[in-house]
Order: sequence, then structure tokens, then C-alpha cells
Amino acid sequence: MRKRLSEMDYGEEGVVKEIDKNLRSRLAGMGIRVGVKVKMATKQPIKGPVVVTIDRYSISLGLGIADKIIVEVEG
Amino acid sequence: MKILLMGNPNVGKSAVFNRLTGAKVIESNYPGTTVDYTKGYMRLEGKEIEIIDVPGTFSLEPKDKAEEVAVKILRENKDSVVICVVDSTKLERGLYLAIEIIEEGYPVVIALNMWDIAKDKNIWIDIEKLQNILGVPVVPTIAISGEGIKELISRIKEASPVDIKKILKRAGGKR
Repeated sequence: MRKRLSEMDYGEEGVVKEIDKNLRSRLAGMGIRVGVKVKMATKQPIKGPVVVTIDRYSISLGLGIADKIIVEVEG
Repeated sequence: MKILLMGNPNVGKSAVFNRLTGAKVIESNYPGTTVDYTKGYMRLEGKEIEIIDVPGTFSLEPKDKAEEVAVKILRENKDSVVICVVDSTKLERGLYLAIEIIEEGYPVVIALNMWDIAKDKNIWIDIEKLQNILGVPVVPTIAISGEGIKELISRIKEASPVDIKKILKRAGGKR
């Protein structure tokens, strides 16, 4: 099932499928690109940032950015 | 010639900087911004060489003030050798920046820092292979204990510009 990265639940895993083209190069520098596996690690309340785990390290993203990343989640 | 220390935020650039310069550290302010960078000197083959601790950046397309300063310093010092400090546990994003710098034509040496932490996390990096693909010196370091710093210094002279197309070919990638 496809959903926005911002909509992933805690502990859920998925593969990045699409990234807003204006964000692509910026996120690539942080290791987020199409084909990469992500796991939702933390969601901060009140429209706060999300933290995802990639390749054994964590990255926090603003909700606005997480909205523009489409992920294919398992199950 | 100058040496620029570059890398993602929080990879131990300043720890490497302190190792390379010893106590001769000067704080300075880059004009036009509020972001500080640090400048110092190190001895290389009997000569005093200026070394700049550049603010951390993820890419050469700046998205904030600190990154703007980083890119500006790089572009204003075309005759520099860049020591790209990479967190060994976050290899991919470190290499992204390193390759961008190589693509701009700078001679680069890669310091795979926090080598001990990578080992603890069971991350193994094939240094020989990485070196062969990139065509630049790659040195594992543990800046806080000083391990690998001597080798890093001794290999600065091996750094030379590399054609990005050759890297792509050696990596077996397509464009």
C-alpha cells in the first residue's frame, strides 16, 4: 500500500517510491532517495517532525517534507 | 594551497581539525553571515599550511546560512585540497557530498571517521574497493583518540582531481 511518509505509523517499514522533485537533491544529501528502506521511529505530536531510521541511522524530517515523500509500506 | 575540512554536520570535523592543528587555533568570523568558521595552521612536509574547518553541509546546494557559508568557502578557495570527513556509520550521505566535491574538480582525501563506532555496529567498509572506485585516498580515522590521523596527513599529497565519469564507470553505474 502506498502512503505519505508522514502517514506511516510508529514502527512501520516501507520503501521510498516517489519524492517531490524540488526536494530530491536536498534529500539525497541526507540519504533519502527512491528505493531506500525507511522505518518510522518517532512521530512528534502537534504537527511536529517525524524521525525515520535508514540503514541503522536516524533522520528527522519536518512534517511538510514528510508529506511530499511517497512510501510503499508492507502488508 | 589551503586545506578545507568538509563533511556532513556532526561527523567529527572539528575533532579532526583539533588533531591536525594542535593548539594553534584561531576563531574567525566569515563576513556577511552570523556563522562562524574556524581557521588554523598545520605543518605539512616542513611548511605551514592554512586549514579551514568548514561548517557542516549535506550537499553543495545550500538550504540554510551555514551551508551557504560552506559552499562559499569552497568556491572561493579553488586551490584547496579538501579533506572530506565522513561518519563511517552514515556512509552513503557522506559519500554524496564527497562526490559532489570531487565533481567540482577539487582534489579530495576521504577520512572515514568514527571507525570504532562503525566496528561496534558491525559495519564493515571495504576501503581498498572504495579507494579503487573513487580514485582518491580513503583513510579510516578515530579523531577523538587520534588513530589514523598520521596516515591522513601523509596521504594529503596523493590527492588529485578525478574525472567523475571514470568513477561512474568503475562503479558500474549508468546515467
